[in-house]
Amino acid sequence: MPEIAAAGIVKRYGGLVANDGVTLSAERGEIHGVMGENGAGKTTLMNILFGMQAPDAGEIRLRGAAVRFRSQIDAMAAGLGMVHQSFKLFGSLTAWENIVYGAEPRRGPFVDRRAARARVAGLAARHRLAVDPDARVGDLSVGVRQRIEILKALHRDARILILDEPTAVLTPPERDALFEVLKSLAAEGRTVLLVTHKLHEATAITDRVTILRDGRTVATLRTADTGAAEIVRAMTGRSVNLEVRKRPRAPGVPLLRAIDVTIASPSGRPAVDRVSLTVRGGEIVGIAGVAGNGQSELVEALVGLRKPDHGRVELCGRDVTDADVPARRAAGLAYIPEDRAAVGSAPSASAADNLAMGFHRAPPLARGLFVDPAAFAAWALALIRRYAIRIANERVAVGTLSGGNLQKIVVARELAHEAPALIAEQPTRGLDVGATETIHERLVAERDSGRAVLLVSAELGEILALSDRVLVMFEGRILADLPQERADEQSVGLLMAGRGTEPG
Amino acid sequence: MSPIDRTPPRLDRLRIPPVALAAGFAALAGAALILVSGHDPLSAYAEIVRGSLSPESLPDTLAWATPLVGMTLAAALPLRGGMVNLGGDGQLVIGGLVAALAPLVLAGPGPFGAAAGLALAALGGGLYAALAAWGEVRHGVPMLISSLLLSYPAVGVTSYLARFPLRDVATGLPQTLMVPLDARLPVLTGALNAGSLLIAAIALAVVVFDRRTSAGYELRMRGKNARFAGYGGVRLGRQAVGTMFASGAIAGLVGATLVLGSQFRFIDGALLTPAYTWSGLMAALLVGGEPVGAILAALFFAALQTGGFAMQRETSVPRVLTLVLQAIVILFLAMRQGIGRRT
Ligand SMILES: Nc1ncnc2c1ncn2[C@@H]1O[C@H](COP(=O)(O)OP(=O)(O)OP(=O)(O)O)[C@@H](O)[C@H]1O
Ligand SMILES: [Mg+2]
Repeated sequence: MPEIAAAGIVKRYGGLVANDGVTLSAERGEIHGVMGENGAGKTTLMNILFGMQAPDAGEIRLRGAAVRFRSQIDAMAAGLGMVHQSFKLFGSLTAWENIVYGAEPRRGPFVDRRAARARVAGLAARHRLAVDPDARVGDLSVGVRQRIEILKALHRDARILILDEPTAVLTPPERDALFEVLKSLAAEGRTVLLVTHKLHEATAITDRVTILRDGRTVATLRTADTGAAEIVRAMTGRSVNLEVRKRPRAPGVPLLRAIDVTIASPSGRPAVDRVSLTVRGGEIVGIAGVAGNGQSELVEALVGLRKPDHGRVELCGRDVTDADVPARRAAGLAYIPEDRAAVGSAPSASAADNLAMGFHRAPPLARGLFVDPAAFAAWALALIRRYAIRIANERVAVGTLSGGNLQKIVVARELAHEAPALIAEQPTRGLDVGATETIHERLVAERDSGRAVLLVSAELGEILALSDRVLVMFEGRILADLPQERADEQSVGLLMAGRGTEPG
Repeated sequence: MSPIDRTPPRLDRLRIPPVALAAGFAALAGAALILVSGHDPLSAYAEIVRGSLSPESLPDTLAWATPLVGMTLAAALPLRGGMVNLGGDGQLVIGGLVAALAPLVLAGPGPFGAAAGLALAALGGGLYAALAAWGEVRHGVPMLISSLLLSYPAVGVTSYLARFPLRDVATGLPQTLMVPLDARLPVLTGALNAGSLLIAAIALAVVVFDRRTSAGYELRMRGKNARFAGYGGVRLGRQAVGTMFASGAIAGLVGATLVLGSQFRFIDGALLTPAYTWSGLMAALLVGGEPVGAILAALFFAALQTGGFAMQRETSVPRVLTLVLQAIVILFLAMRQGIGRRT
């Protein structure tokens, strides 16, 4: 009897059918992958299983018995736990407070703080989830926050753990550690539902994979008998070329330069330490590095969101160190930010409004001081088509889009600037294979048309596949500048860990 | 499959405006109250409607609505960009005092004095509000605090001026000299004067700005996500100062139209007693600063006010009922916003 099973789940949002009769069934002790293109309905299904949304039709069975959750509280009581695509923790509380919140050990009317802390520390040790119970959550890295989310579920003794794209924000060592934990949880007889876009993860850790397409279950495959190509075909209905093909590079003049940029940080050691880099027209320069080694700060200084303490920034040959964001954009810079919801978009605004940003002062979207709503709509529809964004129409608020489709909105807008220099920070985070392929092709097309592309990515594979030169950043400094031929997984991986012999 | 679904969102089009829905609920609740108190709800409501919308009473309603709509716009504009102007009172009295003095001080024909009064009142109110924005942009003083704090000295100083140096000693009251007859705003009909036309024009301008201009688009985007606007190339500091200037200028104009249109002098306290600033802020907050909704809310509140007087006069249902109705509308709208925020 399956531990958890869903049959005929239907969920509609207005005219859009997010789940259209989905079936899924996972056994006890199984790691069950859930895959599908952006907008296929994975998050919707997980939210329904976890009681956060009510299905319009269909049934959920736990160990054979039909259940109907009215809220996630019901679901937690029934032994489910969920780690969301975007975390839901209280930043100002400590780790242990977040973990026990809502299920506190009590002594009389009071929270038994000692018992709570001890239980959290014990759980963390037993599952080898390194978390300091007293740390303030707001200060912690995403990897640690995720461990807190898992502990939160384990504290309630969840028998079924749902993780929605848990690895999108993790560094490779964090990801490996997470997988070890998931394996041991499964070995204890718990069931793990793992949403992921990454084929190698699915093949490495799952027992079976359920594949959704357009809100329907199209296949459930036994991982051991399946190859990556077969999964891709089931997801997309076609085969996707995972290789990136590039013409030989023809670097032109330097379009984006950082000269000796230093950014102090409150902790003492500078966040960015005398970094110099040059990106020429017609090349993609990749910055590899474990997240948190100064990449974000460096990018902020390049785009004008932060003033460097020392050093200069040049754009298309002009010194823009003192220029603000609009001036740099006007001078020829486009920017795909790492955080698509907090920076790259206004989630409560329509797709038309989101796609117009930066184009709203010039024809065809504007005439003089006035904007033309019809042109806004036409512009948005053109970009939605070009990038195959899954959205009902251009008036829909982008906050309701699936993670991958929101990313496409940001990418579509920034590439539409056709700016000489493009900074792309984690451009394919959360994207399905097809969309990743599309974006990779676009980035290469940008390069081939003579633009300068600076790619910052935590995905080493992406960096190695796309970059003409690879810079490795560690503790605020650039440790190496390797041409593509000499950059391989091993040498760059070592450098990312701060070990390596390449001269800087 | 095609990712685009072109069926028009029929539900969206048919959706009843929240203000109307709230008014309906309030009317039902109010009817229950009137019944319980032993009166006839239908005749009470008929009196509210007649007393506010009949041809004889409509000018009164509009005259009452004019400053309220003005202050609603002054509040709505910054709110649209996620900013709050709590200093409306200060900007209002600055505008009022400037408008009362300009025709007296400036040489020239009356209409020129009126025009100069209006222009200088807008300038004065605008600059004073912009000061609060500048404080936030330059020195990090939150505008919520600085706009309110700046209001007190403005109210205090104008009050002092009206009581002492600028007082019309011929009357025993704390008020300035009368504005000459030819510098007053022309009367349209009854209580209605050209100030209402001015505020109506401003209302139209704000709506057009909000829906149809690049700057209005930028302000809306700031209201939805300021980091997004800044990342997209909006100069947030300049925008804050400009928006607050416009907001304060509208408040100043409201003061000027009250002085030049109906009070004809700056009377200490007269501009503040009706609490236009706070009613306007309430109307604007109810709809998240969306101008059309805010204007409708302000008109509705004004109609309730004037209708309430008529009801009390004609039936024996006390006027406070309209305040109850207003409170229910506000509560209902606020609840709706809290649950499913969508603009
Ligand atoms: N609250 C909502 N309102 C309207 N539409 C929604 C809402 N939530 C989801 N959708 C739509 O339902 C579809 C499925 O979304 P869902 O988030 O389940 O996709 P997903 O498979 O998780 O995609 P991704 O891999 O990009 O995260 C999308 O087209 C999305 O726009
Ligand atoms: Mg999702």
